[in-house]
Amino acid sequence: MQRERLEWVALILLTALVGGGWIYLSRDAEAARQPVTLEEAPYVGHTAPDFTLTTLQGETIALADLRGRPVVLNFWATWCPPCRIEMPYFQRAGEKYADRVAILGVNQAETADIVADFAYKNNLTYPLLLDEDLTVNHRYAVLNLPTTIFIDAEGVVREVIVGTINQGVLEDRIEKLLDS
Amino acid sequence: MLPTIHIGPFVLPTAALVYLIGAWLALWAVDRGARRAGLNPDSVYALAITGLLAGVVGARLTFVLLHWSAFQENLLGIIWPLNTGYSAPGGLLIGATAAFFYGRARRLELWPTLDALAPGLLVALMAVSLADFLSGAGYGEVTRLPWGVSQYGVRRHPVQLYELLVGAAALVVWCWASAPDRRGFPGRPFLLATAVYGAGRLFVDAYRGNAWLVGGGLHGVQLVALGVTLLSLVLLARRSLRAEPIS
Repeated sequence: MQRERLEWVALILLTALVGGGWIYLSRDAEAARQPVTLEEAPYVGHTAPDFTLTTLQGETIALADLRGRPVVLNFWATWCPPCRIEMPYFQRAGEKYADRVAILGVNQAETADIVADFAYKNNLTYPLLLDEDLTVNHRYAVLNLPTTIFIDAEGVVREVIVGTINQGVLEDRIEKLLDS
Repeated sequence: MLPTIHIGPFVLPTAALVYLIGAWLALWAVDRGARRAGLNPDSVYALAITGLLAGVVGARLTFVLLHWSAFQENLLGIIWPLNTGYSAPGGLLIGATAAFFYGRARRLELWPTLDALAPGLLVALMAVSLADFLSGAGYGEVTRLPWGVSQYGVRRHPVQLYELLVGAAALVVWCWASAPDRRGFPGRPFLLATAVYGAGRLFVDAYRGNAWLVGGGLHGVQLVALGVTLLSLVLLARRSLRAEPIS
């Protein structure tokens, strides 16, 4: 019994020592937390591909000009029911985080008239960008709608969410971008 | 990665499908585990269902409470959409609590019940790992090793598959330890499987690319895994040293 007790104690102490040592060895140094590559790609950990699009009001917005604050890109279309569900959440987020986070809606292949009519009927005032020839949609490899891309202040993609996003998740992710 | 499956005009998220299939397989494994442990399978199955449902609802409610300012102006958002917005720690806590009190109400013995639940819990964890692999969540660090998989444009450690193997190893240990001639004292199969799973997760989480970090850059999951492993070993030691041989 005494021998068995000692064996157990030795096993537990050895596990604690080896486990603790492994945890220490595998900790993330500050430098290692930076993105491995800065190549432009619409993938997590990569620099978000740059683009320049025009809003309904004719204003030109370039992603590179927004460096220094987080950006939320929401790809959508008026014919997409899940997109319509979540757009009020982006409107609310745009009002709540004004000047701290850029909330941008990137439309998929629709004309300015269709987008403007939709925005008016749904009281949407955050920037809605027109991408009629799908250049940016293709650059971001958007296959399904809605797709939301969270980009940090350094221009690195942090998360891509495909599907409807509820208001709690949207604000949770925005808060994480602001904290990072 | 395979985040979605296209079937005609429909686009189905693979993670959700894996969760559904995983839940079904986990409940089947609980039934088998109960029979192997010599318990009433209906009671243990009902306990597992209770824990599962309470866990899912609890995960949602916890998330809503943590982000109440976002939901208070649109209460419908609490119940739709359901594809995102869950708190795993909240779900685990509430699910485990509900299962515990259900078990007490049905007068189920703790350790034999845990032995019966172990395979179901492991199958569920393996389903989560597989869902993460398909959706790209919890991706690994960049690597040049030949078994690295392409995720997010670079070759990475398939950490989610490593977790899957850890779960499988723990399941094998449970099967071995729960054999009638090797079962030993109640709780031994559960504790052995938990120790193996904890040790495995402690090892593989080192290769995660987006690990949850705590002070000093330490991986939070590794700390939890070490705690679980040590607790399992301590309980094994105590119960082993006190156990009478089963005739």
